[in-house]
Amino acid sequence: MKRYPFVLPALILLTSVPALAQEIDDDGRNVAMSLAEQPAVRHRLLLVKGRFELTPAFEANVNADYKYTLSGGLRAEYHLSDMLSVGAVGFYGVSLNTGLTDRILGTLPDEDPDADPTPTREEYEQHLNDMPIHGAAYVSLTPWYGKLAAFGASFVNFDFYFSGGLAFAQLTSNCRLGVCSDDDPGGPTLIPNPDDPENPTIIPDNNANDDPAVNEGNKFGLYLGGGIHVFLNNWLALDFTVRNYLFSNNPSGLDTNFDYRVSGADNRLLNHLFLGVGASVFFPMRPDRTP
Amino acid sequence: MMHRLCRVVFAIAAGLGVAVGAGMAHAQEEDEGIVFEEDKVSEPPPESDPNIEMDDPAPAEGEPGEGTPEPDLAGDLAGIDQPAGAGQEAGKLGEDRVSWQDIVVVMRKPFLKLQRVEFMPMLGVTMNDNLISHVQFGGQVSYYLTDVLAVGAEGYVYAATLREPFDEVAFQARRLPAVNQYNYSAALNFSYVPIYGKFAILDQHIIHWESYFTGGVGFTQSEVIPRDPAYQPFTNFLVTPNVGVSMRFFLTKFLTVTVGLRDYVFIDQFEPADRVMYTTPEAAKENADSVLINHLMFQAGVSFWWPMSFEYTTFR
Repeated sequence: MKRYPFVLPALILLTSVPALAQEIDDDGRNVAMSLAEQPAVRHRLLLVKGRFELTPAFEANVNADYKYTLSGGLRAEYHLSDMLSVGAVGFYGVSLNTGLTDRILGTLPDEDPDADPTPTREEYEQHLNDMPIHGAAYVSLTPWYGKLAAFGASFVNFDFYFSGGLAFAQLTSNCRLGVCSDDDPGGPTLIPNPDDPENPTIIPDNNANDDPAVNEGNKFGLYLGGGIHVFLNNWLALDFTVRNYLFSNNPSGLDTNFDYRVSGADNRLLNHLFLGVGASVFFPMRPDRTP
Repeated sequence: MMHRLCRVVFAIAAGLGVAVGAGMAHAQEEDEGIVFEEDKVSEPPPESDPNIEMDDPAPAEGEPGEGTPEPDLAGDLAGIDQPAGAGQEAGKLGEDRVSWQDIVVVMRKPFLKLQRVEFMPMLGVTMNDNLISHVQFGGQVSYYLTDVLAVGAEGYVYAATLREPFDEVAFQARRLPAVNQYNYSAALNFSYVPIYGKFAILDQHIIHWESYFTGGVGFTQSEVIPRDPAYQPFTNFLVTPNVGVSMRFFLTKFLTVTVGLRDYVFIDQFEPADRVMYTTPEAAKENADSVLINHLMFQAGVSFWWPMSFEYTTFR
């Protein structure tokens, strides 16, 4: 023992090695390696999976050319899984003139001067269309979820989602018959020629200001959206969204393709970008939790 | 003397062996059929719990301890996002560490900004002008006084494009709207970071981010676009306060991505409607129409941080 003072300590240490080597789970795998198969987050509240979401919401369009639309509505969505959901959204809106429209109207004449293609204030304003109803049916993907801390005091869950689907809008135009009086837009006016009755004088119609505004009716198109849920508790979340409704439209209701008449050809595919906020209520109100 | 040394060595080795063996046996005993109840998980452990291991405190700033691995955001995050083996390799954690010791209950903030400089080339685009759209090119340099407060300077040049309604109004209403283009701008700003968080992408990868507010004041040079090209334009020097909110995503310890909104507020001077009465730029400028402008821009940039790394000075 005196000659080999390190033998016994070494034996004791060796007996402890199997304990270190037992980092093997019941299936014979290395514990450290088996962590690779684990989810990124454990005991996570499934705040959306299998739940129905009802959201009273408000939204307004940004970058509108002639009329803003301020709208209130409802969004209903069912979350099939943690990431996938289907839903629909509908809004009723009122219209307000943009600054550009007000500036133009302020410079237009009240009466229609002869031989002047400038529209009157009434002609210009009544050709503009409104969007009283719009909405979408969509599929939504929620690939990101997480937690955030605000001012180091408030800790809340959130998720990002992206949506795509079918957009719908009902457009209206209030152009009265007295203003939109041309029943043959672009058609020439024939003035009888007393000297030659078979060859009347032809006056081309270069005035589109009295043409009917072809910018009303039901429109369908593409819907793209994205947003963020900020969960205030397990069943209530603030919902901030950006929604883009793409459909064919001619907001001015006047000639846009320079053919001196208003027709369906003046419509073109336009973005109608809205920013919205809502309060989402989830049912059932108690969420599940992952293992 | 030799006899005393033998006894000391023996006692230390025996103690180590028994402690390691007993500790592992105890852990195995607990692992079998272990059930965590949610409420109990949240209870703080007793201070004298021998199973709780605290990491050694980090060395003082600028004095990395012996054997301390170089901090690495990818390595730290890899410990969570990647297989455990890969995470150890990326983070250069000790090879002799066992798995559960690598798991901490609360992660450190993965990115520290204190006394670091951020260089951010940026692009921006107008959000709220239906007549003329600007794309801004430039950058921003910020110095973080604390981890949440920064001072910075920014500078941009602009490229303008007239939008469809400009031509449409001219053709339909026979009116030429007054529009100005922006040439360049600069500002001094403060930034404050009140919100930070993390999110998982597709339940696989965890990304850390933060949100911050920016406010400052600077100037913008705008230039009138004459309705009649026969007239000369004039320029305006505009004092320009700005406010904004941005989101920053941390990619590495020296690289981040930022997106945000910024509102530049100024009183711009537009060409007078009766320009024919003021043919010279000076006369037109004296009779210009003043309008309050909110120039809202969406901005995106990639940030490079200096120093390129940092060291923690608190307990993990």
